[in-house]
Amino acid sequence: MAVLQGAEAKLYVGDFYGRPCIMKERFVKNYRHPTLDKALTNQRIKSEVRANLRCKISGIQTPTIFMVNFETNSIYMEEIQDAVTVRQHINTVQASEPNLSSVCEQLKPLAEVIGQTLAKMHTNNIIHGDLTTSNMLLEGDPKDLSLFLIDFGLSSFEASAEDKGVDLYVLERAFLSSHPNSQDVFDCILAAYKNQMKDKSASKEILSKLDEIRLRGRKRTMVG
Amino acid sequence: MATFKKIRHILYPDLTMTLALYTGLESCKELRKSVMEGTVVASLLKASMIVDPFQVIVAANKAVHLHQTNNMTTKNVHSEILYCLSPSKNISESFRSFGAADDDNSVFVVIVDDTEDKTLQRISDILGHSPTDVDAVASLFDTELIKKAYKLTEEELSVYPVLDALVSRIAAKEIITTGKGKS
Ligand SMILES: Nc1ncnc2c1ncn2[C@@H]1O[C@H](COP(=O)(O)OP(=O)(O)OP(=O)(O)O)[C@@H](O)[C@H]1O
Ligand SMILES: [Mg+2]
Repeated sequence: MAVLQGAEAKLYVGDFYGRPCIMKERFVKNYRHPTLDKALTNQRIKSEVRANLRCKISGIQTPTIFMVNFETNSIYMEEIQDAVTVRQHINTVQASEPNLSSVCEQLKPLAEVIGQTLAKMHTNNIIHGDLTTSNMLLEGDPKDLSLFLIDFGLSSFEASAEDKGVDLYVLERAFLSSHPNSQDVFDCILAAYKNQMKDKSASKEILSKLDEIRLRGRKRTMVG
Repeated sequence: MATFKKIRHILYPDLTMTLALYTGLESCKELRKSVMEGTVVASLLKASMIVDPFQVIVAANKAVHLHQTNNMTTKNVHSEILYCLSPSKNISESFRSFGAADDDNSVFVVIVDDTEDKTLQRISDILGHSPTDVDAVASLFDTELIKKAYKLTEEELSVYPVLDALVSRIAAKEIITTGKGKS
């Protein structure tokens, strides 16, 4: 039974020897060169598994990996129970609360957890590569703030401030386009990120990179 | 003898995996000898390295899959289970740390495709014991040894049950050990 169809993967819900399981199967795209495609799909799976585990080792919650099947390009992993994506959660809060400043007030604790989690991830030189509010899950009651990161297919391991800045920029763009009028909430994420980073000169460098990248992005849109 | 677990492989339902735990033994010497000589075909795991039967299921599931797809690192599916359970890429080190030793008082057995439970019966005969409930393995493990073997970090142990940390490492073994960077 297919549950979700992503851009590059199909997800099935099932059972893995008694445990709730999600099978994420990357489908091979026909329009690319078959050998190249196979190699790329393989790479995505490896990146996904590797970053998932690295996050776990750093104390960041990710779904436990049960099995990798390279024959079918699929990953079997723990299904996070009663999960809502951060995207769904923010939409729910925004819909139920017409007052902008109280929306921000309500989302502040979550924004802090997101910022702290991303700081931990970057401190360990893990670049997610596709940070969006759909790739963050809240387990159980959203009030518990039990945050899981998922979907690491585009991840890499980089120490540079530039890569970390780009990671944050990708999130900012996704965040503001998925959730209009949420700049305040995003600023909370950044503040918590900065706070959590022990290495202050590193966080300063990353955030000034972010400014630089924003400027570049703006120039590009003005010219284009 | 209803205490062992016999489960079907998730991808190859014709293949079964039998899990059984024996405790209170005088030694595993004779059983190990029979396995070495090939008269008993089974995987003999060190019970103190196992926190939960699910840890073994993940390793056995993987080993059978690698066997079916001709991707094994070791000679046969039973040695592959041992290898899969271990985080080490070194085969003899894996066998040493995760295989039962002669003077162990307990042993966790896995048998792939044991028709009519004949092998299990033979093992019980050799040991002179019936298997105990596999879940009892949870009271036999050695946390310090496991932490050391799998290189578990304090950060992750503060967030997850040990089992999750082990299972992910077992499933991802070849991916994390061939990747760039540390770990
Ligand atoms: N382990 C999980 N537990 C619960 N829900 C999950 C889990 N993994 C994924 N999901 C749900 O499925 C959705 C899609 O998953 P995911 O982001 O991994 O795939 P995708 O976006 O299609 O992948 P890609 O971006 O690589 O094409 C998630 O937004 C989430 O709602
Ligand atoms: Mg996604």
